[in-house]
Amino acid sequence: MVQTIKLVYSNFKYVVLASTIFVSMMIGLLILSEYIFLEPYVVAHLPSGSELGFVLIVVLSALSALVLPMNIFRINILKISKQKMGGGVFGSIIGTVAGACSCGPVGFAVISTFGSVGATATAFLTNYEIPIRIIAIAILTVTYFTTVKSLKVECNLNSCP
Amino acid sequence: MNKKGVIISVIVVVIVAGIAASYSSSPSETVNLDMGRTHGTISTAMGSPILGDPSAAITIVEFGDYQCEQCYAWFHETKPAIVQDYIDTGKANLVFVDLAFLGRDSPKAAQASYCAEDQGMYWEYHDILYNLQESIDNGWANSERLKAFAFSLDLDMELFESCLDSEKYSKRVQYNIQQARKNGVNGTPGFFIVGPDGQQQISGAQPFSVFKQIMDSMT
Repeated sequence: MVQTIKLVYSNFKYVVLASTIFVSMMIGLLILSEYIFLEPYVVAHLPSGSELGFVLIVVLSALSALVLPMNIFRINILKISKQKMGGGVFGSIIGTVAGACSCGPVGFAVISTFGSVGATATAFLTNYEIPIRIIAIAILTVTYFTTVKSLKVECNLNSCP
Repeated sequence: MNKKGVIISVIVVVIVAGIAASYSSSPSETVNLDMGRTHGTISTAMGSPILGDPSAAITIVEFGDYQCEQCYAWFHETKPAIVQDYIDTGKANLVFVDLAFLGRDSPKAAQASYCAEDQGMYWEYHDILYNLQESIDNGWANSERLKAFAFSLDLDMELFESCLDSEKYSKRVQYNIQQARKNGVNGTPGFFIVGPDGQQQISGAQPFSVFKQIMDSMT
């Protein structure tokens, strides 16, 4: 497993990609979930009782940053079908939309645009924010292990650089 | 008595009964709204009664939804310190304006708060809603629960139920939602700190330090 990670991240390009995904996803989610405010002052705030939500965002961002570059490596180096990236992208998207559509500007825009359907969807995403994020983390974890396994097999067949 | 006399008598009785009926409705159902009440660019005429000293130099206008979890967080995390340091000391006051958009029970909960206002218990009812908030539209703010909250405050249930069931304050809540849109509020909670020299918008359940910094700069 460590060898596979070394194989992918020995290329500095993938380290940059992983860092970019981690930082942008974490900051984006922290802003959407109102842990960070940009106006009128830049301020971070962790209300009591929301610690679990914060930890899940960090884990989700870290897993996405780990899994997505590995899948991109497979596509670039091993010329694997882009469809095989589905699990990582799917997990990241699910984790991102959970909780992002609550009281904030995103939720207001969705409900204003889609009416009662939007309201039902945002209510679901808000009420089940924590379970949805846990499911997203589970999907990303499974994707990570299957990607590592696939890379081992594919590298044996194609002799990775 | 001739036929004409009977008709006149009936008309007089109907008019007297109508006048009597209009006066018999409890005065507690009448709310004296100051239709000209504004704070900065916001018409707060249809909003809550003012919490704190009405002549305070600073007014905090809060746009909120009773089903919004971030509003719940602000109510419990930030508001107590603001009440203690600014509202109770007469430096600021607060007006709550509904942006009831999150679920089907949101407008009903907002209307219920004004039905409680009819009986002089707006802020007590407001506090109950934010203390007992649960998930969006899971039934915690349906009509039956809203009536139960009123009962727990010892409100006149006949008045409260007639107010809530008739949707007496439906238009008032809609007006408040329009005010939110008009002033560019696109999420809850949203705030305007209105001081003597202008106003500052704050979006989201921001910490006390942000409110303190803005309000201190206005005094």
